[in-house]
Amino acid sequence: PGMKGGSKVVVVPHKHDGVFIAQAKEDALCTKNMVAGESVYGEKRVSVQNEDGTKVEYRVWNPFRSKLAAAVLGGVDNIWIAPGARVLYLGAASGTTVSHVSDIVGPTGLVYAVEFSHRSGRDLVNMAKKRTNVIPIIEDARHPAKYRMLVGMVDVIFSDVAQPDQARILALNASYFLKNGGHFVISIKANCIDSTQAPEAVFAAEVEKLKLEQFKPSEQVTLEPFERDHACVVGGYRMPKKPKAT
Amino acid sequence: MALYLLFESASGYALFHAHGIDEIGQSVDAVRSTVLDLKRFSKAVKLAGFTPFLSAVDALNQCNAISEGIMTDELRNFLELNLPKVKEGKKAKFTVGVMEPKVGSHITEATGIPCQSNDYVQELLRAVRLHFDQFIEQLKPSDLEKAQLGLGHSYSRAKVKFNVNRVDNMVI
Repeated sequence: PGMKGGSKVVVVPHKHDGVFIAQAKEDALCTKNMVAGESVYGEKRVSVQNEDGTKVEYRVWNPFRSKLAAAVLGGVDNIWIAPGARVLYLGAASGTTVSHVSDIVGPTGLVYAVEFSHRSGRDLVNMAKKRTNVIPIIEDARHPAKYRMLVGMVDVIFSDVAQPDQARILALNASYFLKNGGHFVISIKANCIDSTQAPEAVFAAEVEKLKLEQFKPSEQVTLEPFERDHACVVGGYRMPKKPKAT
Repeated sequence: MALYLLFESASGYALFHAHGIDEIGQSVDAVRSTVLDLKRFSKAVKLAGFTPFLSAVDALNQCNAISEGIMTDELRNFLELNLPKVKEGKKAKFTVGVMEPKVGSHITEATGIPCQSNDYVQELLRAVRLHFDQFIEQLKPSDLEKAQLGLGHSYSRAKVKFNVNRVDNMVI
């Protein structure tokens, strides 16, 4: 409701390049649809007419179904995923968030989407058929050597694998594919890593693990109220050393 | 001891000769700064051979084999054609740096070509991945991405082993 009847909806750019806000009765996060006329997972679409009469279609991005959207609404400073970016997406699942990342990076960007489960992989492969900037990779993110022929160097790795050794998985993939000075965005679900510890302690321990692997975490946001005991950590990889002050 | 590098891309196999990078006395850290700059890197590393995959079917076969750490006949031919000949009974005066040790030991077992895979080699191969399309004249911009896209689909389709033309209704 509120998203129908395009004339009343105004779409304005979000502070993150490639992300938008549809302003109607309620504001909704959205991305510019790469494949106009189609929903990927039943999400609502908003069509806006430009002054010159051309139409642009946006897809509503639900933060309850996407941790990246939850992080954006949580106020993260930079997601580094922007038009033209090359993204390696670990834990792509059925591709709901991947489809929005595909919208954000647009026709000049590229998303390498890795998912191990064949069940979700089916949906992912089908989604990618219509989005030529998504390269589906049904393979285990623990073994990047297995898909090294399919992936080039990337600007950003987004990781949502929900595994106890996810920091190691991210580090291994970064050593293969992430540019020096590139960035990572990792979603951490506390009880996937250690259900006996307080979530904050788990997040802090994961950040320490990342620091040992040439990552430089720069910010952390909680995904409340969309996800419980989840955090999203963002940072750089093999960042250039700052010249010494003289 | 000469160092060659094997790079497996979606478009084909490539072999590089790292003639200008002296392994002795070079730390991984030193390599890291050298390889970032394409000018310096392309002076130190020269393309020694490239063989494009002949078809989508060929590319998928090679990708499946590499994924499992297996050397195909095509890879063997490529290596033997482009590497210096080793005289019988003599030790090779070069090694081939490979990304993953399993395929390396398979190559060594079958052909006697000495292979290595370590942090140093991986650092060099990271740089090859970064600059790859600028080394291969046959590749136009975006050719590599197109090859990755086609190969990603065929590789993944084979993995999920189902009819991708059938789209199920979403159950919410």
